[in-house]
Amino acid sequence: MLSSMNLYSRGDKLFVIINMILLGLFTISTLYPFIYITSLSMSSGFEARAGNVILTPMGFTLEAYKRVLSEPMFWISYKNTLIYTVLGTLTSLAFIIPGAYALSRPQLYGRRFWNLAVAFTMWFHAGMIPFFLNMRDLNLLDSYFGIIIGFAVNGFNIILLRNFFEGIPQSFEEAARMDGANEFQVLWKVFVPLSKPAIATVALFCIVSRWNGFFWAMILLQDESKIPLQVYLRQIIVELSDDEEFANTLMSAGYSFETVSAAIIVCSIIPILLIYPFLQKYFNKGILLGGVKE
Amino acid sequence: MSGVRLDKIVKSYGAVQVVHGIDLEIKDKEFVVLVGPSGCGKSTTLRMIAGLEEISDGSLTIDDRVVNRVAPKDRDVAMVFQNYALYPHLNVADNIAFGLRIRKESKDAIKASVDEVGAILGLTPYLERRPSDLSGGQRQRVAMGRAIVRRPKVFLFDEPLSNLDAKLRTQMRAEIKRLHKRLEATSIYVTHDQVEAMTLADKIVVMQDGRIEQIGTPMELFLNPANAFVAGFLGAPPMNMINAVVAKGENGPIASFDGQTLPLPALPDLQNAEGRPIIVGIRPEYANIVTAPQPGSVNCTLNLVETLGSEALLHATVGDDQFVIRTETLGKIDQLDHVNGFTVDPTLIRIFDAKTGKALGGQTRVA
Amino acid sequence: MTMTDNKIGGSTEELVVEAGEAQRNRRPSRMNRVGDHLRREWQLYLLLLPTILWLLIFLYKPMYGLQIAFKDYSVFRGVAGSPWVGLEHFYTLFENDQFIRALRNTIYISLLGLVFGFPMPIILALMFNEVVNQLFKKTAQTIVYLPHFISSVIIAGIVITAFSPSAGIVNTVMGWFGLNPIYFLTKAEWFRPIFVGTGIWQEAGFQSIVYLAAIAGISPTLYESAVVDGATRFQMMWKITLPMILPTIIIMLIIRIGNMLEVSFEMIILLYQPATYETADVVNTFIYRQGIQGGQYDLAAAAGLFNAFVAFVLVMTANTISKRYSRTSLW
Repeated sequence: MLSSMNLYSRGDKLFVIINMILLGLFTISTLYPFIYITSLSMSSGFEARAGNVILTPMGFTLEAYKRVLSEPMFWISYKNTLIYTVLGTLTSLAFIIPGAYALSRPQLYGRRFWNLAVAFTMWFHAGMIPFFLNMRDLNLLDSYFGIIIGFAVNGFNIILLRNFFEGIPQSFEEAARMDGANEFQVLWKVFVPLSKPAIATVALFCIVSRWNGFFWAMILLQDESKIPLQVYLRQIIVELSDDEEFANTLMSAGYSFETVSAAIIVCSIIPILLIYPFLQKYFNKGILLGGVKE
Repeated sequence: MSGVRLDKIVKSYGAVQVVHGIDLEIKDKEFVVLVGPSGCGKSTTLRMIAGLEEISDGSLTIDDRVVNRVAPKDRDVAMVFQNYALYPHLNVADNIAFGLRIRKESKDAIKASVDEVGAILGLTPYLERRPSDLSGGQRQRVAMGRAIVRRPKVFLFDEPLSNLDAKLRTQMRAEIKRLHKRLEATSIYVTHDQVEAMTLADKIVVMQDGRIEQIGTPMELFLNPANAFVAGFLGAPPMNMINAVVAKGENGPIASFDGQTLPLPALPDLQNAEGRPIIVGIRPEYANIVTAPQPGSVNCTLNLVETLGSEALLHATVGDDQFVIRTETLGKIDQLDHVNGFTVDPTLIRIFDAKTGKALGGQTRVA
Repeated sequence: MTMTDNKIGGSTEELVVEAGEAQRNRRPSRMNRVGDHLRREWQLYLLLLPTILWLLIFLYKPMYGLQIAFKDYSVFRGVAGSPWVGLEHFYTLFENDQFIRALRNTIYISLLGLVFGFPMPIILALMFNEVVNQLFKKTAQTIVYLPHFISSVIIAGIVITAFSPSAGIVNTVMGWFGLNPIYFLTKAEWFRPIFVGTGIWQEAGFQSIVYLAAIAGISPTLYESAVVDGATRFQMMWKITLPMILPTIIIMLIIRIGNMLEVSFEMIILLYQPATYETADVVNTFIYRQGIQGGQYDLAAAAGLFNAFVAFVLVMTANTISKRYSRTSLW
């Protein structure tokens, strides 16, 4: 389209400006809750309770953060989340990369069948109860290993990476083979370095889903010492929000239930914000790579 | 001795056969070009020699060893790919060294080999660069370097120049020729470009529909094409083909077409063959233009004159057949627009059977 | 075989023997070929093995376990050992008011999500496409994609805080206009608007990526020729951009309909409470309460199977309709 506004007619200029204002409003409404929560976390308990926090911190204080950071469960769950995220993502990649590579090779016997076996799981799964009973039968309740292995593979990620591998010209594999490389070497020395963007995309998807995952962790983990941050967050925010008594005990200490929740929320968003620039760089590509095929 | 022998090589995908039993003997140090239109099976044949495609039937011998079921890496062959297959994450030196590293050669040996190959190909200043920072010609050279460095018994080239522009292609063609002289390695080269085939080959193999049409030196194929397909494929513009029937002339056989006649060479096959349908093949270079009918000349209708500088292409029709004449422009430029016919030396005419396309009669004497 | 055809003479026996030999030497049997292939490519299967095993253990085995929907499941007897009861659980479900309510709520909530949630990303993408200032566009995109990456627990936390009766910003603003505070999250009539609105807030921006990608694929010459023809920007959006991304819209709609019953129940679990079950309880939350919390595994599995069956029928229907009328389809 035309690159310069100067070439636009008056009607078009008006259209562009109104469009920009509406989009700006939507953007602000997306951003506002985050600003609100951040301000809330730095306000005094009294101001927060009174509903005086609108945009900026009122009665600025970091007491809520002190309270959160002095809570042992916060650190335990944070550590657990880090374990689940790091080991979980590595495990996922250890399954997904070789699997996607094999599925992308034309010489694989029954390639259509294997690919269908993967794609089928994207459209149909047994559901919550059979999955839960299966995990229980496998003795994977209440275990780090269960959480890490039980959610390692995901059809969408395999197909995303497979599609990328398929786009690499056949001659790269053939040249490496003629140079004497075996399958492992072809994968490790040629395909993996060539696929860094796609692998980064898959890794980021894994990291985000691990960091944010709460439902299955809540169901599969009874042992408090193994729960991840999100489950702990839920206990604080959702379960205690109605607990007037708890709210009052917090009040007396200069912060309120609201400011403490807000502080925990901020603490758990920060890692996502840190990797967000990378996410942004890759997920555009990732979505396109995945395509809608199969 | 690094000869390659193909013995009744067949390739089929399921029930579909794409290469129908090829016999070919390639001598040590020979440069053989497989040429043909796309889909003729030339690349498939090359890939079977490389070991990238399974051989469905027949036997392949490299250096007196049957290698049908030998993995590509153990065949001691190297291949230059059409898209070069340079690893974008490695620099030039590492690209060249890739195969040696996989084979776990010593660091010093690798460095020496890479330096030597870099020098041969004029890549020394670029060894540290990534492929993305190289020009098309340089990339092509790296691809060759990767093949050379392993000192294989046989080099395989799969349309290595088709990604280059016309000027570079000419330049790299000369370079490949020079390299072959220097390394004296057996080479098998696939292309659809007949100019590459003519200029590079010691021996050309023309293929069509999974079969070999003719094998011979470039000049043999140019002068004595075994059939109409080879005649039409080699030479630019291709040989003109006029559909005709044999008739009896005063001094021997003549071709009759479109109410005209043309004297034919006195081939044994044409004696007492009146009425036999034939194809008369005349190379554009061998037709001499006339602006007024002469004895023995053929009339044609001129449609278009393309002037190329020192020469010109005249596009005409003879009856229903297209006819192209290639002529020098020097001293003739005023006549070109008035051309209405041509003459041709009967000994330079090739004659093919109209049904089978096979060439009739003896050989053209090489002038 | 062709070898023997050329031979003239020689006894029939010889020919047969030779033919057999040719067979052995030149045309390996099927078994041989598979053996050859595996010898050469075994590494490929080794690379595939972990993924396939994982799928079998964690996704396909539960599908086998789905049979408990037709069984009187007991933990001690296990999946295979429990006695069959036919469709009994399904009869029970359809006599269960809570299940009927959950089914109704599921359909209602997903229809609301479809009507209000589906067009939003398309509108957003069209709007982004009309932005001239690249810095504004980039910044706005960065912000609207963000909520997608925030966990549902945190989103729920933000919603709970913002709608809190005493301290929440929503009630504060209502107070400015003299309205009495409402404890939104305990009011059944407010649950669906809040839930659907939250979903749009969280996902609309991110979902617009797919449409923006489709828009990016439109040839610029279409717009250039329209400009020369004197089209306004609005006309171009309406007459070029929208029709060009229609196939993408249809594909996304089919996917959406296929996943319709999979309302984001994790969010519902976080936001609902007994006071709002009336409007908030969906099939998946019903399954969660009956199965995971209540231990009625067989009944809950039956509910899940029913849900999956309806979803399957929905996506097939949508795909077939789309195939017939627009020649766009998922498969």
